[in-house]
Amino acid sequence: MKTLFVATLTSLAAASVLAQTNPIRIGVVTPLSGTYAGIGQQVRWGLDLAAREINAAGGVSGRPLELVYEDSEANPAVAVQKAEKLIQVSKVDFLTGTVNSGATLAVGQLAERNNKLIATTVSFADSITGDKCSPNVFRVNARAGMQSAALADWMAATRPNANVFYLGPDYEMGRSTVAAFKNAAEGKGARTVGEVFAPLDNKDYSPYFGQIRGARPTVIYTSVAGNDTVRLFNQMAEFGVSRNVQVVGASGTVTSQNLAAVGRNADGFVTGVGYSPLIETPENKRFVAAFEAANKAQPDLYGTDSYGVLFLYKAAVEKARSTDTDKLREALRGLSWATPQGVKTIRAGDHQAMQDMYAVRVNGGRFEIVGKVAAAAAIGPDVCTRF
Amino acid sequence: MDWIQFVLAPQVINGLAIGVAVVLMALGLTIIFGLLDVINMAHGEFYALGAFLAVVLIGLGLSFWLALLLTPLLLAAVGYLTERTLIQRVFHSKDRHTLTLLLTFGLGVLLEDLLKIVFGANPLRLETPIAGATELLGLFFPNYRLFVMLFGGAVIAAVWLLVFRTPLGAMVRAAAFDRHMTASLGVPVHQVYAATFAFGVALAALAGVLLAPMYSVFPTMGRDFVFIAFSVVIIGGMGSIKGAVLAGLLLTQVQSVSSLWISPVWSDPLLFGIMVLVLVWRPQGLFGRLGHA
Repeated sequence: MKTLFVATLTSLAAASVLAQTNPIRIGVVTPLSGTYAGIGQQVRWGLDLAAREINAAGGVSGRPLELVYEDSEANPAVAVQKAEKLIQVSKVDFLTGTVNSGATLAVGQLAERNNKLIATTVSFADSITGDKCSPNVFRVNARAGMQSAALADWMAATRPNANVFYLGPDYEMGRSTVAAFKNAAEGKGARTVGEVFAPLDNKDYSPYFGQIRGARPTVIYTSVAGNDTVRLFNQMAEFGVSRNVQVVGASGTVTSQNLAAVGRNADGFVTGVGYSPLIETPENKRFVAAFEAANKAQPDLYGTDSYGVLFLYKAAVEKARSTDTDKLREALRGLSWATPQGVKTIRAGDHQAMQDMYAVRVNGGRFEIVGKVAAAAAIGPDVCTRF
Repeated sequence: MDWIQFVLAPQVINGLAIGVAVVLMALGLTIIFGLLDVINMAHGEFYALGAFLAVVLIGLGLSFWLALLLTPLLLAAVGYLTERTLIQRVFHSKDRHTLTLLLTFGLGVLLEDLLKIVFGANPLRLETPIAGATELLGLFFPNYRLFVMLFGGAVIAAVWLLVFRTPLGAMVRAAAFDRHMTASLGVPVHQVYAATFAFGVALAALAGVLLAPMYSVFPTMGRDFVFIAFSVVIIGGMGSIKGAVLAGLLLTQVQSVSSLWISPVWSDPLLFGIMVLVLVWRPQGLFGRLGHA
């Protein structure tokens, strides 16, 4: 026991004197089971691919990256427990992987107490880099407001002064997405002709179709998700509500999980997102090919942003020449790095990544790019006041 | 005028189509309760099972109409076996209500998880077998929903005739009213019970197939209608067919029309509020028990 202790001390001392070659540990708290398991799968595929590529090219400052996974079960309380375990037991240097916005906020508070840094690659809620921002939390993916900006821009260009009807699920996410898009759309000249909030897991939307038809909208915006999307879109087609009307919505409305069940009734739907596998750049084509070769599936925005976060970490550690939290935070602020979507920059004031945004249209099961908004136009004001 | 044409009239007619769906669900529930005195908590899952079975049959190349015919028959067999192997075991116990309630509840949870394991959690869809829509007096109505209303109405009428106007129905009602007396008259009571349960399950399966093209198919779909179906059964009178039809159509109209003025999320509390009031004012429901009135 004593020998072991001495040996450990010696190796620790040696490590701090010589250039370190021991791995840098990244803790990943992500849903590997439960409702969001499909998203967690993409997160894992993206991170694994990036770590393999970075390690094959010599690691970060000569040190290999090691990913330590914990299942958050898509539950903020479990995510906090698992993050605590990663920090205390696995001694990770950095955290990522949180999906649910509540989990990101909760794990962010934990990271702040333990003086660690976390970057989310998935969570949309504006508050994470807005009024609930934290000096220890970064976001590399596009937030809800940026998605709305891209969609509103496309709508103003193709449907000027549209009459918009809003239909959202009646809970926090539904109301905040509708409010955000309404704000962005009205700012560009759209008129609001009505809104209705249906309960989550609503089975039949036809009782609202009378109101929608009576309001005579030219555009219908919706932020329903999951099964609700399947029902809403199919029932709108059944009743002819979406005939001659442009349907737009949140980026989580039509996803690879429900696209098959919505089928051709999803065709024509337009949303604003930070990524599409169809982006025509050499970097993206190389990434999509590598991702498909490794995982036999296409990357989506979650997989791509999770791939990108490790390159951000690598750039920051090499700039700071350290994994120390304070030095790393300074290095991350204002840092630009290359991703499959193009160059992104971390805004120093709120730790939100700035990136080009896209309007994409569903066509035969693919998301075609129909519009693009430059990073500076999509980012919106910095409302973080905590640092 | 615009308001009546565009808002109120579609609301009422859409409510009617949902009403027929709810009545179909409540009918199986109320028959199993009224005749068998069993509260079937797995009713929603039998509804889901019906929809999934139809998806499988259609996937095998059968037409929708054949699936609509076969699914209730196949699930009637499942219902018959369930009654004979599980429910009959606890049926004669003193705690029949508690035990059958727990047993069917457990069965429901089990079925839902089995569906998740076999088919995954993502939604599936059945193509609408009757495409297109009819325009009537400026109203726009999907043809398939018109079919559901007519067909559902015919099924409800047939069930009523079967129970009240045939010797078979008389036998079932007699067994519900006095088991020992009926048995002594030579009626095979155990088989009557199992067949009644099977019939209720078949009705749930029929509703599952019929509604699948409108509401899509996924493992937890059983929860969609089962709450409103239970309230319909309670308000209409446990075991009353007349009550289920009336309460089903009435409640869905209340929900549908009220959503014009109040936020739609309040339509469920409104429904359960009515249910509580009925329980306080008239615990037996609008109409009495089947076979007892």
